[in-house]
Amino acid sequence: MAPPPPQSNRSPSPSQPSGKSEVSDLKLQLRQLAGSRAPGTDDSKRDLFKKVISNMTIGIDVSSLFGEMVMCSATSDIVLKKMCYLYVGNYAKVNPDLALLTINFLQRDCKDQDPMIRGLALRSLCSLRVANLVEYLVGPLGSGLKDNNSYVRTVAVIGVLKLYHISATTCIDADFPETLKHLMLNDQDTQVVANCLSALQEIWTLESTTSEEAARERENLHSKPYVYYFLNRIKEFSEWAQCLVMELVAKYIPSDNSEIFDIMNLLEDRLQHANGAVVLATTKVFLHLTLSMADVHQQVYERIKAPLLTQVSSGSPEQSYAILSHLHLLVMRAPYIFSSDYKHFYCQYNEPSYVKKLKLEMLTAVANESNTYEIVTELCEYAANVDIPIARESIRAVGKIALQQYDVNAIVDRLLQFLEMEKDYVTSEALVLVKDLLRKYPQWSQDCIAVVGNISSNNVQEPKAKAALIWMLGEYSQDMHDAPYVLESLVENWDEEHSAEVRLHLLTAVMKCFFKRPPETQKALGAALAAGLADFHQDVHDRALFYYRLLQYNVSVAESVVNPPKQAVSVFADTQSSEVKDRIFDEFNSLSVVYQKPSYMFTDKEHRGTLEFSDELGNLSINAETGDSVVPAQRVEENDKDLLLSTTEKDDVRDPGSNGSAYNAPSYNGSAPSATSQPLADLAFSSTGATGQAPAPGLAIDDLLGLDFSVGTATTPSPPPLTLNPKAVLDPGTFQQKWRQLPISLSEEYSLSPLGIASLVTPNALLRHMQSHSIQCIASGGQSPNFKFFFFAQKAEEASIYLVECIINTSSAKSQIKIKADDQSSSQAFSTLFQSALSKFGLP
Amino acid sequence: MPPLMAIEFLCRVADVINGYLGGLNEDSIKDNFVIVYELLDEMIDNGFPLTTEPNILQEMIAPPNIVSKVLSVVTGNSSNVSDTLPGSTASCVPWRTADPKYANNEVYVDLVEQMDATINRDGVLVKCEINGEVQVNSHITGLPDLTLSFANPSILDDVRFHPCVRFRPWESNQILSFVPPDGQFKLMNYRVRKLKSTPIYVKPQLTSDGGICRLNVMVGMRNDPGKTVDSVNVQFQLPPCILSADLTSTHGTVNILSNKTCTWSIGRIPKDKAPSMSGTLVLETGLERLHVFPTFQVDFRIMGVALSGLQIDKLDLKTVPYRFYKGFRALTRAGEFEVRS
Repeated sequence: MAPPPPQSNRSPSPSQPSGKSEVSDLKLQLRQLAGSRAPGTDDSKRDLFKKVISNMTIGIDVSSLFGEMVMCSATSDIVLKKMCYLYVGNYAKVNPDLALLTINFLQRDCKDQDPMIRGLALRSLCSLRVANLVEYLVGPLGSGLKDNNSYVRTVAVIGVLKLYHISATTCIDADFPETLKHLMLNDQDTQVVANCLSALQEIWTLESTTSEEAARERENLHSKPYVYYFLNRIKEFSEWAQCLVMELVAKYIPSDNSEIFDIMNLLEDRLQHANGAVVLATTKVFLHLTLSMADVHQQVYERIKAPLLTQVSSGSPEQSYAILSHLHLLVMRAPYIFSSDYKHFYCQYNEPSYVKKLKLEMLTAVANESNTYEIVTELCEYAANVDIPIARESIRAVGKIALQQYDVNAIVDRLLQFLEMEKDYVTSEALVLVKDLLRKYPQWSQDCIAVVGNISSNNVQEPKAKAALIWMLGEYSQDMHDAPYVLESLVENWDEEHSAEVRLHLLTAVMKCFFKRPPETQKALGAALAAGLADFHQDVHDRALFYYRLLQYNVSVAESVVNPPKQAVSVFADTQSSEVKDRIFDEFNSLSVVYQKPSYMFTDKEHRGTLEFSDELGNLSINAETGDSVVPAQRVEENDKDLLLSTTEKDDVRDPGSNGSAYNAPSYNGSAPSATSQPLADLAFSSTGATGQAPAPGLAIDDLLGLDFSVGTATTPSPPPLTLNPKAVLDPGTFQQKWRQLPISLSEEYSLSPLGIASLVTPNALLRHMQSHSIQCIASGGQSPNFKFFFFAQKAEEASIYLVECIINTSSAKSQIKIKADDQSSSQAFSTLFQSALSKFGLP
Repeated sequence: MPPLMAIEFLCRVADVINGYLGGLNEDSIKDNFVIVYELLDEMIDNGFPLTTEPNILQEMIAPPNIVSKVLSVVTGNSSNVSDTLPGSTASCVPWRTADPKYANNEVYVDLVEQMDATINRDGVLVKCEINGEVQVNSHITGLPDLTLSFANPSILDDVRFHPCVRFRPWESNQILSFVPPDGQFKLMNYRVRKLKSTPIYVKPQLTSDGGICRLNVMVGMRNDPGKTVDSVNVQFQLPPCILSADLTSTHGTVNILSNKTCTWSIGRIPKDKAPSMSGTLVLETGLERLHVFPTFQVDFRIMGVALSGLQIDKLDLKTVPYRFYKGFRALTRAGEFEVRS
């Protein structure tokens, strides 16, 4: 209990103490009452106890009353008892000797005929937390666990956990975990069951580092009998216990799809629960169960949307914040899910700014072609908001939307309007954005420069904005009439410029300007280099020196270093890798999502140890399928070591199921790009039951033949002029983004050879075939007769990427191809290549 | 740790303490710390939430009410703890007391709706949504089984239920079938989207020139909902760049606090004439025009109507053969109703 702050100046109530002398006063009064059995004693005792406890809560040491308090505790009044228990629980830890005194009366109360008193006494007994008294705990706990009243059992179960934390060995020696396990599986009262589960999870997790048996028991909790036992009783559990069970179910790996659907049907009404914690826990179960089934996964997104949005608008700001963080995570994985519900993320005037900020991020994330106009209009409203940080954030959001959209006309106009709003913070933010925008869309330079040219550099104070302005002055000095003179005046004020970042940019800008308009800039350049050389900041000094020597050595070389022709930036670096994002998704419904960091980044080492261990266990138990947590790590590794890996090695990494591909049945993911963050898991997903398709051995032979064949064709030449990079790499996030941004450059329909159709029993066969033609698959799915693939390929010696959506219908022997390309001029050549590769599929 | 579990639990603790003490503040906790301690003791143990249903808690720990306070002063006897354990900890309907008995059996159902709306400076409705709840106050002897149905359940966009509601009947026939807790509780929450209009309009106009800003705000009824609109209140924050304001209204009173919050209390909107508020704002010297525009927050209440249009069809009682009294009410009030200028 937190001590309340010093008393207010109201008239003193019984709970207002006056000082030290009162303690001895209280002692005297308590002693008088201790032996008395006169009627009304309880009430005077109660007043005294109140005084003692109020003294205790505000931090006055009343431990000297311990003996008297214990003596007075012989009473039948529950309130008195409760106060006494509170007192004892508070002081026992610091006065272990005195605590011994209380054991006696607590043990006696544990045998009281009123179950409430039995429970309370047991709870207090276990809360003493004195190591040398644990021997007195075992007996009462043992009988408490067997008590015929469920209240006492509930308390006793938690008591066991408390005992474990005081002395683990005593708890294990008394065989309490085994008793709890028995109770968990047999008790009538669900609260007892839930407490057992919670206690056992904690005990076994801690024990599992040393004891193999505990580790096995803990793993067993996620096994089918246990999970089904809890699921069948889920409606009887309290809402909090339901959350606990849901956590457990989310870790369960069902053996086939019908099981998944059974569980989801059973839990569906939990999404309608009034308690947000239950809703979110259910969401986690649904999302994790359907990871391997892309189209069901999509349906889940649709299903959970409404309940989660309700939670955002109806709860307290804290609840909204927690839910919004989860929505943000989801929207990152599937941007389109909320694209028509964007109005839910409009900010309300008196929401706290932490909620507003997250809503702005959501608006940025859900923006697409259809809703950009409305969203940007709304964001512009916030720019005129009284709340300056939010105004800034909303301008940034407009910029982010501009950078992620293909069609930006309207947004550029808005941004330029910001520049004319004559509010310094709006101008600053807008300048930074215009700079980023120009790096991505150089074609807008004319319009932007005209407006930027009107801004006086004196009005821009913030370093970031100033740096952006200076960068534009340097980069577009040929178009801005007075650029050299503006830069010159900035150089003159060198000493007043406190930010090193700005000075660095100034140096570079003057250099660039010099190469474009030498006569006008020469003076400024000299002054800038001189000032830079004299600068106390190491980086500024070094850069000035470097430029100086470069110019001395050769001016044209200097120009090619400082001002080379630039390619437009296509994608700005993402701050969080997809590995981290996947990791956070695995920890759905935890603080990781709220902090936007995986747990290992904010928990301390010793706690982390058990968590990583738990991951290992998870993987062991699902060795048939690849654990999600492992895949992303592999993918990143693969990116890093890409150049070292040979194609065959990479095949193994890409397609972990290939070793056992003979048993691969069609996977059930329909619309693949949405699930691109899990494509490897999709490929690896195997189901033994639902095939009814061609027998496995034939497939394996097909594969072998296909591979052999591809090696053969590599030598038989008639290659089109276009060559592809055999080791192209593209991560799913980029694929998705590119797919959204690029227009369709080619859309065709091919016929497939009958042999090819015959070989196309599972997507995997075609994948391997295409890979041998340097066309990589990023996602695939469907089952006979419709298959859908997403491929990508990269031009050899160039960064240009081709993206392909390929839908194959085996019954009509047709394939529909949609090609998107960075370099659209060569997409016809690529199409020919793709067609020839596809037509060779299945040929002997 | 699931974050919502913690937040939801804390909200529940706040609710329960509020219910017990009639207010959650430093003084009320200080004066009743024993009860607060007893409550927390039952609600959470070793970090795991236990009993959080207010009904059950009230059986374990009697709330302090005025009668018992007076009694305790008069008789000097004040046990606020019942002697027996609540029967329902063992019963199969965890939210209901074992066997309550009433002389008059009665059920009251209230539809309480909150309208959230955002109107932009052109008077266009940007967003309008209703969050409603069905509050039930039930006093019925025995173990009653109630069914409640709506005339137009299809307008509901999303619903959340108290644990007592059975899911299947709702899924198949949109019927709420439940065994109610005893006393006051929230049966369901719902959300209705895409409403086309608001019951009242608020039209602010700001024109600024030469360091002076003229402000004019009109308020009126739009589509007469058939009931009177009550407790209308318009509140806004004057931007910091405003030095002084002189505002008068044709109806109601205008108040400007020292923190530049301006409140215009209108009360009931007169039928014949739309009230308006007008005046001038003096800007900081050197500032020609206003760049920051205030947002007007509007408050109102309409008794006797649920603006979403949701209607209760009927309420039936099964299993218990008593006659009972049924009462229905509806109320709509403004939630986050804001008008931008």
